[in-house]
Formats: sequence, structure tokens, C-alpha cells
Amino acid sequence: MSLLSVSGITKRFGGITANRDISFDVEAGQLIGIIGPNGSGKSTLFEIISGFYRPDAGVVRLNGSALTGFSPDHVCRLGVARTFQKLRPFSGLTVVDNVMVGALTRTLDVRHARARARELLDRVGLAEKAGEYARTLSTGQRKRLELARALATEPRVLLLDEVTGGVDQRSIPGLVQLVRDLHRGGLTVLMVEHNMRVITAVAQRIVALYLGEKIADGPPDVVTRDRRVVEAYLGQAYVQ
Amino acid sequence: MKGTWPAVVFFSLAAFGPVVVRDAFLLDGLILILLWGATAAAWNVAGGYAGQVSLGHAAFFGLGAYSAALLGTRWGLSPWIGLLVGAVLATAFGFVLGFLSNRLRGPYFVLATIAFSQVLLIVGSRWRGFTAGSEGIPVPFRPGFWTLGIADKRVWVVIVLALAVFLYLIELYLERSRRGYQLAAVREDEDAALSLGVPALRLKVAAIAASAALTAVSGALWAQYVGFVDPFYVFSVDLSIRFALAAILGGIGTPLGPFLGATLITTLETYLRASFGGIGAGLVGIYLIIYGAALVVMMRFAPQGLVPWIGERLRRRPVAGPAS
Repeated sequence: MSLLSVSGITKRFGGITANRDISFDVEAGQLIGIIGPNGSGKSTLFEIISGFYRPDAGVVRLNGSALTGFSPDHVCRLGVARTFQKLRPFSGLTVVDNVMVGALTRTLDVRHARARARELLDRVGLAEKAGEYARTLSTGQRKRLELARALATEPRVLLLDEVTGGVDQRSIPGLVQLVRDLHRGGLTVLMVEHNMRVITAVAQRIVALYLGEKIADGPPDVVTRDRRVVEAYLGQAYVQ
Repeated sequence: MKGTWPAVVFFSLAAFGPVVVRDAFLLDGLILILLWGATAAAWNVAGGYAGQVSLGHAAFFGLGAYSAALLGTRWGLSPWIGLLVGAVLATAFGFVLGFLSNRLRGPYFVLATIAFSQVLLIVGSRWRGFTAGSEGIPVPFRPGFWTLGIADKRVWVVIVLALAVFLYLIELYLERSRRGYQLAAVREDEDAALSLGVPALRLKVAAIAASAALTAVSGALWAQYVGFVDPFYVFSVDLSIRFALAAILGGIGTPLGPFLGATLITTLETYLRASFGGIGAGLVGIYLIIYGAALVVMMRFAPQGLVPWIGERLRRRPVAGPAS
């Protein structure tokens, strides 16, 4: 049985179909990338998996049991954590308190949660920022904070929304390395990514969406050469 | 425990008040400071810690006051029972308001709370057969602790001090506990909190309901202390603003803030009214002008409120690192 299975997901907003009958499976320990041009339905799919949207049809399962229909906080407690494309740090809280909120989902003990948060900050390279307010962090640091916070909830599947989006070029390699390390540590990751170089470098498999439909699914080198994917990204002129 | 010494000083001073002071006017001031402080602290549970700013908390205060007064006058029940009934009613209304807060955010929630208190004002002032309408209800004085007929103001100091300390401990819990951290997350960004497994709606509703119940307890004690319940006072927007103002001036979302804020506005108001209230007809309102100006000045220099402002002054050297 797959760890995460997305089957037949359809979501409409008025007359627009953001997701049409999307299905794919994620095995434990995989790192899967989701690509697609703007408006292809990647974000909608993420919102559905994490419980923020309800699909009109289809079901998402974690280890065989349905996630669809549960509220986002419940989905998180079941083991699916996420980051946001538009970063949402708790600006008025310190960096360590931000991560503690995640850790407190798994422990009732505040001191234990604080220790756990410090460990994770160390792991994402934010240890020296622990006592600062989250609003003082740079974009790259905020991405790391979101990662640490999501990891603190001890997810079985981590959904990453545009982990390198809006980050300056110099910070990208470090973030990519971090994701890679997490994956090597055994974490199952599903990431939406715009940056093709990033996704082909880290993903084992890529799912490509276009206008709400899945148009390709396979290893990075196959998917990036796929006729429909090239067409979707660059237009027909570039198809050989 | 760390960081609680200002509160220990504050409540100790209040406790020693009745030992040193015999003057009824001063004791009355102390009782009101503690009572308004406790009410502002109750408001702070929703407005500060849960980030659900209400300008209708007079509704809950009035529910408590009316429960104590009506149960006493109509059925001869103890005000303690009235207090309990008021708290239960306020909890029920708090739940409704809490669920509304999920639909109505920011200013729309504030408007809903004002409307809610206005509805109760209309009920209280028009349902003459039951509430005696706009005439209000004189609360009968029946001597004894069970009937809360207490003439000795020093006993009242002890009662309201107990309530104030209880509220302070609740705020401390909200500052340091797991639920407190989760509530802070909900206040900062509800969706991000949800994504981290925080049951946001449940926490918000619980905070608003608890805040409502505690406000009703204050209202019941106030009715018993003052001895008269007037719908146009207990359900007024003025009163709601007073609760919010005390918490905001003292430091919203801080445990001691509401008490310092209440001390400030109660003393300022009483002092100004006493000094300027009586001067010639032309100057009748002058104390309100001075009062308002003082508030403006406060907000100019300490926009975060007294507690954070004093905290910054005390911390000469910037202290990095958390409080653990």
C-alpha cells in the first residue's frame, strides 16, 4: 500500500476546474516533485491534500485511511505537514516559540517541546536566531523556520510549497541541500516547485500538471522531455 | 516563578491596603480598581490572548449583574447562585459568539459584539415585567456572607482580591502553558496554526466562552457591591470600552497589564472627577477632556501599553535569548 494516495481529485471554483481527476501514489521515502505553469492546479491540490479545501470528487488517503473531509489541524495530527508558498511565520513570536507550536502537537510538555524545537532549529541552521522575533528573519531564514515548524509536528509526509520561491539565488543551494538531507533521513516529501533545476536535481519522480490535469508522471529526465510538458511550459514552437 | 514579582508586589500592596487604610473613599477606590482589573483581565482572555477583540463584553457583565439581582429579588436566592447562573448563561452566549468569530473576522466581529450587547440592553430596558425595565433593580441588602450583604469594605477587598488573583493566575497559565502557546499561534495566523495541528476553532471558542463567564462573575459581584443594577449602565458600550481600554492601556495580552491599566484609568477618572467635576457649570465636562487627553498622551508614548513599556525601560541592556 502506498503511504499517500491521491485518487480522482476534482475541484471546481465556479466554472473553472482547478483539478480534474488527478491521481497518483506516493511510496514511503520518496521525494516527488509537482510541476506545472501558473494556474495548472498545483496549489489547489496542495490545499486539498492538507485539508484546507474539500474536493468535489475523489479522495486522499494516508496509509489507506481517508484524509478528505478532515479539518487541516486534524490532517496534520494524522501525519501530513505543510509549508506555505506565501510564508506565514508567527511574526510576533520568537523563532523558538514558532517551532514549539509545532512540537506541542506531539507533546503535552512545554519544556520537552522547547528542547525539541531547539534541536530542529539546529538542524535547519537557525539555532543562533532562536530568541529573536520571527519578523526579523530574512526570506531564506523564514523558509527554514517554516521547515523546522512543520518538521516539529513529526509528519509522515511533508508537503513543501515552493521552497525556493522568492529566495535570493545564493540561499537556494543551502535550502535544496536541506531538503535533500531530510529526504535521505527517510522523510517522504511532496514538493511543488517552479525552479526546474531544483526539481530535477532532487526529485525521484515528477508529476506534471497543466490546466488542472495530470499530463505526465515519471522520472525527471523523462517528464522534462515529455512533448506535452514542453508544450505546456514553452508553447508549441519548441516541440521538436 | 520568574517574572512574577511585579504581580506579587501589586497584589501584596492591595492586600495590605485595608490594614493601613480605614478611609471608606480610598477603600472603595481599591475595590473598584481590583474589580475593574479583574474584568479587564477577563476581557484580555478573549481580546488579548485569543486576539478576538470584543466591544460588547458589557453584555456578559450585565448578564452576571442581572442574574445576581433578579434571582435575589424575585426568588430570594443567594447571589452566589446568581453568580453561577450568570456565568453559565454567559458561557452559553460566549459559545455562540465564539462560533460567530469563525465567520466574522476583525472589525466584523467587533460589530457583532457591540450589536449583541445592544440587544441585551433592549431586553433589559424593555422587558419591564421581569427586569423592571429602565428603572433598574435595587439589590436588597441581606446581611451575611451567603447573601453577600457585607457592609465592611475590608471584606469586599478580600473578595475582589481573590477574584483578581484568580484571574491573574489564569493569564499566567495562558502565557506559559501548551494551550497558551497554541492560542498565541491562532492569534498570530490562524491558517498557519491549523497547518501545525492546532485546533484553532475549539481554542478560540473556549477562550471566548471562558472570558464571558469570568466577566459575568465580575458583574455579579459588582451588582452586589454597588447594590443597584441599571440596564443603561451595565449593558453600555461605555462599559465595554472601559474593559478593553484598561487591558489595552496596561498591555494587551500581558498578565498584569489589565490590572495596571485599570489602576491607571480608575485613579485618573476618580481624581479628575473629584478635582474638576464640581467647578462651575461651564466646566462640568472638563474632567472628561483632560481624561481623554491623558489617554492620547499615553498611547503616543506607550502604544504597546504600560507593561511592555516599563519592561523596555527596565531592560537597559538588550537581552537576547529566550526566557527559559
